[in-house]
Amino acid sequence: MITGIITFATIFAVVGCILYGRKLIKTERVDAVFGNPEKAKGGTHWVIVGSSCLLLVWLYYSWDMAKSFYPKSANELCQVAKVNESLRSLKYLFPIEERELKSTSIIKLEGKNIKKYEMKIQNSSDLNDENKSKLLKFLTKTKNTIPLLTNENLLENETRNKVNEITIKINNLTEEFQKISYASETSEEKSKRIEALEKQGEWGASGTALDNEAEIPAIPVSKKGLKFDLASKELLLISDDFFKLRNHNSRYKIEIKEIKDSIKKFRSELDETQEVASVFAKDILKIARRIEYASIFPPKALQAMEQSIIKFDRVQKKEQGNLRLIDIFLFPTGNIGYSGRACFEAGSGRWLPKPSDTLNKFALLLKPSVGFKNVPLIWYEMMDVSKIVGFILPDWIADIVPGKYPVHSEDGTVKSNFKSKIFNIVTGEFKAFKIPVPTGHIWDSFLRVFLGLIFGIILGVPLGLFMGLNRFAKGFFDPLVELYRPVPPLAWAPLVITVFGIDNVGKVFLLFMVSLSIMIISARAGASGTQLSKIHAAHSLGASRWQILRHVIFPNSLPEILTGVRVAIGMCWGTLVAAEFLAGTTGIGFVENVAKKYFQYEVIWITIFIMGMLGLLFDVTLRKIIDKTIPWRGKG
Amino acid sequence: MRKLITMILGSIVAFTLNMSVANSAASEVRVAFFLEWPTPNQEDKVKKLFDDALGVPVKWTNFANGGAMTDAMLAGDIDISYSQGLVPFINAVKSNAPLKLVDIAMEYGMGGTTCITSKASGITKANASELEGKKVAVPLGTMAEYVFDESMKVVGADRKKMEVIQMDPEEGAAAIVAGDVVMACLFGGNSIKSALTVGTRLLTVQEARDAGILGIDITSVTTKFMKENPGMVRTFIEVTHEANARYRAGKSDMNIIAKDAEMKLGDMKDTIGGFKFLTPAETKKSMESGNLDAFLKGMGTPGGSVDTSFLPL
Repeated sequence: MITGIITFATIFAVVGCILYGRKLIKTERVDAVFGNPEKAKGGTHWVIVGSSCLLLVWLYYSWDMAKSFYPKSANELCQVAKVNESLRSLKYLFPIEERELKSTSIIKLEGKNIKKYEMKIQNSSDLNDENKSKLLKFLTKTKNTIPLLTNENLLENETRNKVNEITIKINNLTEEFQKISYASETSEEKSKRIEALEKQGEWGASGTALDNEAEIPAIPVSKKGLKFDLASKELLLISDDFFKLRNHNSRYKIEIKEIKDSIKKFRSELDETQEVASVFAKDILKIARRIEYASIFPPKALQAMEQSIIKFDRVQKKEQGNLRLIDIFLFPTGNIGYSGRACFEAGSGRWLPKPSDTLNKFALLLKPSVGFKNVPLIWYEMMDVSKIVGFILPDWIADIVPGKYPVHSEDGTVKSNFKSKIFNIVTGEFKAFKIPVPTGHIWDSFLRVFLGLIFGIILGVPLGLFMGLNRFAKGFFDPLVELYRPVPPLAWAPLVITVFGIDNVGKVFLLFMVSLSIMIISARAGASGTQLSKIHAAHSLGASRWQILRHVIFPNSLPEILTGVRVAIGMCWGTLVAAEFLAGTTGIGFVENVAKKYFQYEVIWITIFIMGMLGLLFDVTLRKIIDKTIPWRGKG
Repeated sequence: MRKLITMILGSIVAFTLNMSVANSAASEVRVAFFLEWPTPNQEDKVKKLFDDALGVPVKWTNFANGGAMTDAMLAGDIDISYSQGLVPFINAVKSNAPLKLVDIAMEYGMGGTTCITSKASGITKANASELEGKKVAVPLGTMAEYVFDESMKVVGADRKKMEVIQMDPEEGAAAIVAGDVVMACLFGGNSIKSALTVGTRLLTVQEARDAGILGIDITSVTTKFMKENPGMVRTFIEVTHEANARYRAGKSDMNIIAKDAEMKLGDMKDTIGGFKFLTPAETKKSMESGNLDAFLKGMGTPGGSVDTSFLPL
């Protein structure tokens, strides 16, 4: 319901905004020349069009539209899928969706295999001539069994009748299927079905979204569904009947038994030195048995049956009526499948969760008590300030305080002294007031990126500036930086994890390496791009070295540096997810990696959105900073 | 503008009506398997006996875990998964994946999948509750996670209080060697061997067996492949059971298997020694009323995901 309203609302928004945009273009003065950046300003309506289109594509390809407009269609399509599934093995025998008759392709294939073995046996150096001729005889015999199966005249009446019977059954089903009275149920059956219907629920979130309820209820809801359900059951019986049927006439039976017996006898007579011959004999037996097991019929024997199946297929497609149109237009890139036990979404509906389900799951994950793997996505916890103090102050402060650590006395108690009290402070073993600190997967990922970036900036910017200004620094650091910069950051990941361990240190270091090279390059480019005249002017006015650096070179390279930061953020996110894939207990990448293992497509998409949003947040913040700190950018 | 709209609409329609033309009869069979997980039928794999028996080329692809096998099967890149863990299979069918369990590859004790605690931490079965609050490496969503859960119940430690780190076996082994984690749950001979250099098994193979911790690996096929090529499924299982029978009779060529599993002969023999390859009759019993059945029911697997009709009885 809500999805339906949103669908229409977005369609209206798109159309409205496009009309508005066109009107605006007409009314605007056309004095701006092509290439004038002023022309790209504004345009919120195009933002709406862009995001609405995205939403529409999502709604369409996740089949949320189908769900909101035709909630029963999935159940009916599920029944159709049952019919298709029952028909599948029968259809596969004929060139309906295939190019060849199954019998034909099997005969072709086995013919090739037999030829292959003939060559192999003739060329084998491990076989003596006697065995060779025997094996070749077996092969010829096996080959000769095929015509026994494909000869129309040898087809036994019993088999013929059976095939006719099956054909008649299919034809009858086709006739019955078109009647309105087909699949009418008694009131008792109906009440039973309705009872079961209530239990099975409706077209829900995919099997893994919230809990493992059935994704698409399999019990037919509508009259049409009931028809297809019944037909699928009948077809299954027919198909079983057919596959039990073997086209083995008495001559073939005698032949195949002879082949089997003689191969058995041949193998039992071989001694251990003739292993190769034994293996060949066994393989020939396998070919013979493959032919025996396959449903090979004379070319014309199944024609009537093929026609009946084609006819049924046509009728069932006709009976689907508008359901077929819904299937084509509202279930793009896939359909509803039936796995013999439950119906499921096959195609984009499976891996692209519906917006409504995703939102529900996201709301659930955001609850701090639920979270993912017992860790909330983002929440706060109360932390004692002492922990922070203990983290900041190094432990050796206590060691350099004069005196000794307390020793227990004879009555078994330990008295603390000044030195141990200091030790307690530097290790955070004391009580102070508590402050809330953020925690959770999102916060952890955010912090890692932030720290990696900050360290990269702190070290990279001065180094870059130095390299841009000093010949020694440029020469000394250039090969170092240029060697490691082009290596994709992910190539470092396994090594960094091994060296720095699986804790945050390794991940932050990886991100630091990513951001460092980018910051060096951009700062260096900025510094070397400073106009000499500006430096000369500052020098003439009596500026010191530091003042030139601080007031001329640094502001001049800021645009490059800030662009570098923006690039670095993007790279850091990409690397972070991969680093958290390798080993982790928290973080967005960890969530995605684990969700993948349990096929939780909703969660995977949620993590993707979160990363997109966080990246956007970083970028918007930076754009604001850029606007504030270097308003002259692009205007100098 | 109009051209652009026509183009977009056209491409959407084309995308929607994605026509697929099937080719007649499978021209190759694609099978998934594990390295470091030696099985007798690898001899047949190397000697290309599967290709001969099935009559078409067989393409073998190795995977890191059973979940990836399922992914590939759903994407239509794999037809048969051999020795997929039961846990990934159950996860898959719970999410309504169209897969069928058609055979048991092997049953194994904790020899092949086990939890190893580091000697440095001093944690053993007796004081296992000390694991709480510490870091443990577990490949989530695999048989090793099941073994981990069950072992924790046996030794009386609370999983929720531990910091469980998602790591594939090779990384888990590296982490325990580096001292990053106090315990690593692993599968695969080489990983276990390297972890054992710094650690000991939390539960010995015998203890685990007594506690009823049992691993089962299975053969699964996509329902599409099963319906379209029942003969091939049947032949694949038959050849595998023939190889198992040869192994039981002591006639397998261990060198070939070791090489194909990318293990040293001695390690390979240790690993394969912990496996129990069932006869077709035992398999059927296990699938219908034995260990496998109990396992599936215990994990709340939806019914109808097992098919015994392909077993060579």
